[in-house]
Amino acid sequence: MITKFMTEVTAKFNPFSTCAKPARLFLTFLPPNVRANGTVVNTALLPRDSAESSSLRVKFKDGKEMDFNCSKINIKSLVEEVDRHSRQLQKAADLSE
Amino acid sequence: MTRIISRAARPCLRRLSSEASTLRGAFSLGAYAHNFSTSDAQHATPGLRSIPEGAQPPIDIAPATKPPSARPIDTRKSQMIRTYTSLLRTTPLILFFQHSNLTAVEWAAVRRELKKALDGVPPVNVMPGAEPVDLSSKVQLQVLRTNMLNVALKLVEFYDPEAAAASKATPRTSKGPIVHDLSKAAYEQVKSAEISPESAYAQIEPLMVGPLAGLIIPAVSPAHVAAALSVLAPVPGKFPAPTRRKNPGYYDPTFQNGLAKLVLIGGRIEGKVFDQAGIHWVGGIEGGLDGLRAQLVAILQGAGLGITSTLEGGSRSLWLALEGRKEQLEEESKKDAPADASSS
Repeated sequence: MITKFMTEVTAKFNPFSTCAKPARLFLTFLPPNVRANGTVVNTALLPRDSAESSSLRVKFKDGKEMDFNCSKINIKSLVEEVDRHSRQLQKAADLSE
Repeated sequence: MTRIISRAARPCLRRLSSEASTLRGAFSLGAYAHNFSTSDAQHATPGLRSIPEGAQPPIDIAPATKPPSARPIDTRKSQMIRTYTSLLRTTPLILFFQHSNLTAVEWAAVRRELKKALDGVPPVNVMPGAEPVDLSSKVQLQVLRTNMLNVALKLVEFYDPEAAAASKATPRTSKGPIVHDLSKAAYEQVKSAEISPESAYAQIEPLMVGPLAGLIIPAVSPAHVAAALSVLAPVPGKFPAPTRRKNPGYYDPTFQNGLAKLVLIGGRIEGKVFDQAGIHWVGGIEGGLDGLRAQLVAILQGAGLGITSTLEGGSRSLWLALEGRKEQLEEESKKDAPADASSS
């Protein structure tokens, strides 16, 4: 996963519901030095009996914000969606070099 | 001459022959050695020993130290299942953390700070009446293999070795039925188990995702939970992080990086599943289990007082009513008496 262009990752999940899986796995996909590289990672836990589904919000360097409802998406497509935009940014960065 | 030599050699020969007989004895013992086991017949679990009617004939191809197993025994995974089942059966308090890509240095920093915090906790009374035990050296933060833990959780909850031992289908050896955690019986029972949504496993199953670490505390000690929470998942006000002056190591960037990647997701306390709020509640019990017991005693005493006063209350009010009536009657009779005296 390309994490270079993310400025903020906010995961909100209820660990006791099955829809927490994509959000939790997304956090584990971030490399160990992601915070040192300037990405802000926020994790919020919902209480056990809350009916709110897990969500993930990713902000990119160009200002684009992506908001995912984790009950409708799996980790594979989540990474795919995020990478699609990251690749565009990568391409632009490569051309401007 | 030869006679002299033979006489001199006789004791030696006699000794040799006696040694040979003892050696033979040792060999014949060796032939029976496979019937020996570490626990004698009286101390072995009697429930597992009794053979039900029509059970399968014992298979005796396996040595005692290597009973037949449904899973390959020499793999890391199977041994992990055994480790985790024994851990889950013996440890009353495990807190689960998600760890997202901590480096080794960060793990070391986290463990160092945890140890520092736990060393400040006084020894706790594990059992009433027993000596206080210093648990701090026995608390571990351990990375767990999620899938193997999942299997172990199922085994602990849905596998009943006694039931398997009583069943006819369980294969047995001359030492008893094969009912260990890697056995075929365990595998079949867990596979066919119906997981009801109320069971602890169904509740904890969603947690078994991604990389997991367990904080293992060998006794239910709220003081240790509170100390660990103040380091690993501080809550301002309730479990405050140590101040910069008190513990500068806590503000070490390596540790803070590691801490940011650790998320407390839940816990298993005495077989029940707790979420973050529940763990905070357990950590907030003042005075540990002794404190809880004191509270319970206070409640029971209060209830006792209440009951005696209510029970007394009924008779007292009856007594009051009767007494009142008696006085009333006496007054009336007094009033009547002078009236009678004046009329007569």
